[in-house]
Amino acid sequence: MTEGVIFDLGYQPHEGERLGRAGAVRALYRDGLRRVLGLRRRARSKVLPVLLLSIAVLPALFFVGISVFTGEIGLDEVEFFTHAQYFGMTSAIAMIFTALAAGELLVPDRTFGTLAVYASRPLTMEDYLVGRAASLITVVFGFMYLPQLVLFLGRAWVSTEGFGSFVAGNLGTLWRTAAASAVYFVAFAPLAFVISAYAKRASFAAATFIGLMFISSAVPQALTDAGFKPAAFLALQQHPGLVRDWIMGENTNRWIPESAGYGPIPSLIIILLVAALTIFLVVRRYRRLT
Amino acid sequence: MADAIIATRDLRFAYGDILALQDVSVDVPPGSIGLVGANGAGKTTLLKVLLGILRPQRGEAWLLGQRVNRATLEVRSRVGYMPETACLPPDQTAADFLIYAAELAGLPTRAARQRASDVLTLVGLHEERFRYMGGFSTGMAQRAKLAQAIVHDPDLVLLDEPTAGLDPEGREEMLALIGRLGSFGINAIISSHMLPDIERTCDWVMMLDGGRLLRAGPLTELSVTGEVTLEVLDDPAPVLAAVAKHGGSAHIEGRTIVVETERGDPFDLIRDALAETGAALRRLGPRRTTLEDIFLAGEQIAPASSDIKTELDEESAKGDRT
Repeated sequence: MTEGVIFDLGYQPHEGERLGRAGAVRALYRDGLRRVLGLRRRARSKVLPVLLLSIAVLPALFFVGISVFTGEIGLDEVEFFTHAQYFGMTSAIAMIFTALAAGELLVPDRTFGTLAVYASRPLTMEDYLVGRAASLITVVFGFMYLPQLVLFLGRAWVSTEGFGSFVAGNLGTLWRTAAASAVYFVAFAPLAFVISAYAKRASFAAATFIGLMFISSAVPQALTDAGFKPAAFLALQQHPGLVRDWIMGENTNRWIPESAGYGPIPSLIIILLVAALTIFLVVRRYRRLT
Repeated sequence: MADAIIATRDLRFAYGDILALQDVSVDVPPGSIGLVGANGAGKTTLLKVLLGILRPQRGEAWLLGQRVNRATLEVRSRVGYMPETACLPPDQTAADFLIYAAELAGLPTRAARQRASDVLTLVGLHEERFRYMGGFSTGMAQRAKLAQAIVHDPDLVLLDEPTAGLDPEGREEMLALIGRLGSFGINAIISSHMLPDIERTCDWVMMLDGGRLLRAGPLTELSVTGEVTLEVLDDPAPVLAAVAKHGGSAHIEGRTIVVETERGDPFDLIRDALAETGAALRRLGPRRTTLEDIFLAGEQIAPASSDIKTELDEESAKGDRT
């Protein structure tokens, strides 16, 4: 029989490498992903992200299931909706997801005082914002793009021309859906980010963002209907849809800017200008905080 | 300044019209250092200036030999900070937060995991490591805050009111932990308005009052009064008279005779006085004062201004050249 011996090694200093700022930003990024998706958090933190993602992906899975079934019984190929129409279904859910994600990334660090921990680490305020923004880009872009990818792969799977041939012949759809997902991200995420930078509660930030999006459709609609056409520029929720249709080469809706006589380029410029303004406001806010 | 872990020269910081630090110049040696002062004395502001969170409007600060304003991130990678306010996310477990805190300081993930586990054991939270911190008691939260401050193995840790809000038992545990930091090779600046805590854990003290440095130096030197006290079993009056007869200066406080040590060795004087009167000695020793007495006395000790100015000028000249 062998006898075990326990050695008390006491305090062990760290003599290995230190990764500096780059390591710190990566840690921030990973923490942001976990925070938004509720990973390594209580079960209730996972409910909303999983639920919203499930709702977003469900139509694509439904389409694949029906297509497989109709293929089995020898019916022709079916197409319930195009990629552009699918964006129309997921964009409202994506808006809610973006609002929740931005709030979760910024608000708790301020309300729980964790900014004091960041301030004592080898990080600048810009590093902090870059790490958090990278997490937001990943989750929001992923949220928009994943359902499209599922739909695309499902269509390839049930295609009569074969998986490989379908993918090779429709590669344009992949980059167009990626570009449209990016447009949605740029249109929604910076606005949600700036509201979260000022809000005291994540839920309040999310509600404010969703309310702003709703008002930014209803009010410009009323004003343009009354003949004040430039009000169409304030239709923040509508701009990404118009640009998306332009990218996808479809016309799925009568967008407010479109009905006021404006094309997709002014909408794209407004999206970029609003994003630039909100980034400036977030940086200014955090410079004052730290 | 060569051996100092912290050096400041003419530090000044104001929040608008409110002056929080004024002309703070000090060289702090390695070890456990107390930073004492009433609420609003400028302790937290000084710690934030040392971390580079606040930029002083005038003056310079050096930490571990590096100029804070020029090498802020390098300084921070070697320093830990335990804020006075809450800083723990309630929806994270202690282990996850400690790993994250170590990674934020640049430790690779594997090392961060190991360090987090070790440090949680050191602060007595090993059993609680998988609990969400929202359910922690004040004592556990303070220990978790200390753990995040040392998880990346810093050379220096700044502790802002580490015993705030703790019950007597929790305070004892926290002071014991702080007392062990020196054996880990970690220098500590302990900011507190609880003077007994500083007396127990520190060997060198800085006193701030209204943003100014009131006194700074080794605790033993600060507490020496230059007086010797003795108590005798019988009437102290004859002993007092004998001391005076031998040329000493003394007075009585209650039943204690206080002998001033300005002239010669007071112990020889007391021996002669006791031998002459035949009084039985009950207690004898140098009179020491508490930090509280020193603080309340509010004596202003001007720093060695000529030396400091010279060093500051040299540093500024070097800075200008680079």
